[in-house]
Amino acid sequence: MKAPRVGIIGIGQSQFKARRSDANYPELVREAVTLAMGDSGRSLDEIEAVVYSLAPDALLGIGNAERLGVDAVGARNKRFMRINTGGSTGISSLAAAHSHIAAGACELVLVAGADKVGECGDSQTILNKIWDPTYERSLPLGTITMLAMSAIRYMHKYGMTQEDMARIVVKNRAHAALNPNAHLRAPTSIDEVMHSRMIAWPIKLFDACPQSSGGCAMVLASEDYIRRNGLEAVWITGVGHSSESYYIGDRMGIGYSADHADAQALGEACSRAYKMAGVTDPVRQIDTAELYSPFSNTEFHAIEAAGLAPLGQSPRMLREEGCFQIGGRNPVNPSGGVLCANAIAVTAMVRVAEAALQVWGRAGAHQVKGAQRAIASGNGGDHQFFGAMVVEA
Amino acid sequence: MGSRTEVGVIGSAVFAPRDPGRMSLEEALHAVTKHALHDAGIGIDDIDGIVVAANDQLDGRAISIMAASGSVGGVGRDILSTPSGSEHAFVLASLRVRSGMYRTQLVVSWSPLEVDSISETQRLSNDPYYHRALPLDDLSSHALQANALEAKVPGLRAAAVQVTVTNRRHGALAYPEYAPAPREAVLIAGGKMLRWPITDAMVSQPAFAAVALVLASDEWISGRGNCKTAWVHGLGWATETAYLGDRDLSRLPSLQAAAAQAYQEAGVDAQAPKFDLAEVADATPYQELVALEGLGLCPRAQWVDAAQRDAFGRDGPTPTNLSGGALSFNPVFCTGLMRIAEAANQTRGCAGAHQLPGVKTAVAHGASGFAMQYNTVVVFGQHSRETTQ
Amino acid sequence: MELMTRIEKWNITYQHALGETASWFFAQIRDHQQIYGRRDPKSGRVLVPPRAFSDETLEATREWVAVGPEGSIECFTIVYEAFNNLPDPPYAFGYVLLKGADTAIGGFFRGLDLHDAAAAAARLAVGTPVITRFAEHRTGDVLDFWFELAP
Repeated sequence: MKAPRVGIIGIGQSQFKARRSDANYPELVREAVTLAMGDSGRSLDEIEAVVYSLAPDALLGIGNAERLGVDAVGARNKRFMRINTGGSTGISSLAAAHSHIAAGACELVLVAGADKVGECGDSQTILNKIWDPTYERSLPLGTITMLAMSAIRYMHKYGMTQEDMARIVVKNRAHAALNPNAHLRAPTSIDEVMHSRMIAWPIKLFDACPQSSGGCAMVLASEDYIRRNGLEAVWITGVGHSSESYYIGDRMGIGYSADHADAQALGEACSRAYKMAGVTDPVRQIDTAELYSPFSNTEFHAIEAAGLAPLGQSPRMLREEGCFQIGGRNPVNPSGGVLCANAIAVTAMVRVAEAALQVWGRAGAHQVKGAQRAIASGNGGDHQFFGAMVVEA
Repeated sequence: MGSRTEVGVIGSAVFAPRDPGRMSLEEALHAVTKHALHDAGIGIDDIDGIVVAANDQLDGRAISIMAASGSVGGVGRDILSTPSGSEHAFVLASLRVRSGMYRTQLVVSWSPLEVDSISETQRLSNDPYYHRALPLDDLSSHALQANALEAKVPGLRAAAVQVTVTNRRHGALAYPEYAPAPREAVLIAGGKMLRWPITDAMVSQPAFAAVALVLASDEWISGRGNCKTAWVHGLGWATETAYLGDRDLSRLPSLQAAAAQAYQEAGVDAQAPKFDLAEVADATPYQELVALEGLGLCPRAQWVDAAQRDAFGRDGPTPTNLSGGALSFNPVFCTGLMRIAEAANQTRGCAGAHQLPGVKTAVAHGASGFAMQYNTVVVFGQHSRETTQ
Repeated sequence: MELMTRIEKWNITYQHALGETASWFFAQIRDHQQIYGRRDPKSGRVLVPPRAFSDETLEATREWVAVGPEGSIECFTIVYEAFNNLPDPPYAFGYVLLKGADTAIGGFFRGLDLHDAAAAAARLAVGTPVITRFAEHRTGDVLDFWFELAP
């Protein structure tokens, strides 16, 4: 049974910055909601349900912080729930909202959230607490070290170098320079990346995402509602999620079903989304991709998981063929991606928002010419949860 | 209308070990998953997706879905988490099946006892802007709500005591090994004051449990044959605003909104709803009364009289919380999903010792957050709506 | 316009039950300086650290298998940045496939000079043989052991 198409009729995102001392957390959410509702041309009263996008409470310092967001999203006496799948929360929230509409329960759903990561002094301490207290909590694991280890395996398996990683940073910063919502917008060079200070080998400061504060909101509607009201929209035609084992050590050794070097479950999520959308040849059929990648090295395995390059080949393709840049084949992260703005609670939603803007022809200076179909992805947990969405004009 | 996908509950399990300290949380989740799958007569390979619900601060894990995921079959599968409430996991799972994109869903929620102070973790929900310094945890919020209600309804205290007596009597039958709280009216009325007007006898000590449910589409169920099914006839959910000071704590408009959604979908007459039984939120007896009113089952003008007549007892006209409710067994975070599971099991004829004979329809209500901020209503029926139309 | 802030700290203590499998594993490390894995009967993989069930198959694991002390590096990183509540840099840690195991276990790499990052990284390359060392005073924790480059 083919699921109904669900449309995106409004998008709002903050200009992401390190600190937003001028606004408290609910106010940041409200800012994004106001932008999205304005963009949709509908009033908040018409919204039938809200799906609230919020990753670890501890980063905000407020338990069940979504409760405080109820008024910011106009949800009083309305349907309301919160999603948390770590870094993939934003795309999981959109998937949940998609289900509200595809189920026929609602016609108009708001998805919203915000983060103030830049205000939390100890984000790596908190991110260390995502690991299980039984075996791994005593180790200094964090998101940076975990993905540094992925880089090590990817280098070992496919020969990627630190210069290859730097090339991703250069590409994404050049894209972000064209995106007024991005946090880090200064263009950079391979040399500058290579000389930035080492955080966790081989990830250097410039290879890593910033901690950003800001919000994002999107308005989803049923096809019937869009037609009845004569609205413009772009369409979510494919949705897929999958997960890996939580145990990083199981993704290596002997007899593993997924390698920590790659992003197998992301590949599964993308396959499920492509299947639903009828995409059989991503290289030809996907015009641009917004792939969640908080560090330079992870963009390579994300590109491969999205079917845009064979395993291990994307560094060479970027280096020798100029693929994955605006103006080149299959541009990836034309917004600058997570590397240039990362408000954890909403980053994965921003990926879909940017993909939607692209196929809508509204991406301004960072528009990929003629983009009609895009894929967006989100990663959460210890590289564990993955969501993918295909968005089309 | 055309063939709309119906959703049924085909399996459930509650895992509440006598000594939770013997197993890790992940092992307990694995156990409840196996039990629920077994109850549904299926294997994990039949599950298309999973929705879990837990509280990070209660668990001591900054992203509670992570280590739990593998225990509930998350590897290679589509798994989401709704930390806002265990009831919300049921809602999302139902929507996913109804969308036609998933044939089945597994729903799991849990509430561990490993934190040194549940009260302190609850206090962290207060915003740091204005309210963090207050001693405002769940119990304080329930007490504020109880106060607001007592001011509006004369004689309410006696009704609250009677509701507690009834639920404890039910709990003694349903979960005798887990219901150690007082049962006699005189003991309940004379309990030690915790937060005015709530005494220690009016609430139940936090307990550990994991709860799991299996949902499936009508197409999948008819293909299997032989599933004891509780069909979801109607689903509704809504929220109050967060700041208690912005609310009239003696009212619960979000519950009325949620009930209206569920009843409209179920074709239930909102002016005169009738079910064979109800399972409603009862962290305190005041919650049960306000829930019954919000569901249209007992307006407040009748609370005192109804409680005195034992109207909510097993043999009364409005049987409520035959499981004993949270007043008897209180796995804090997942009490909402437990109410849903209990109502579903009664409808399936699988409720065990506390089964009410001949249940055809049941209503479940779950609430989470300070003073019942979130309210969720599920109407169950023994037959799918297609066959009853 | 005056903008105010408020400082809040979270201080929460948990007592997590480890269950029988992990408890026995740590007791062997504490009392016998021996690491064990448990076999997943369906895939045949010896899971280290051990779990009562496999998250891939949901089946119970069977059979304790002694593993190590030799092993090889599956991945590593070297941390040069200070983070609150984490050790002072530089330090190296990662995952090691112990002899007899099919999955890798996390631990620190000690006993090598980390100041020249590239040189240290070369010495920790994937596949490098290591040996497990145990602390003299052990409490039953993953920090009771670490790995050093095999002589």
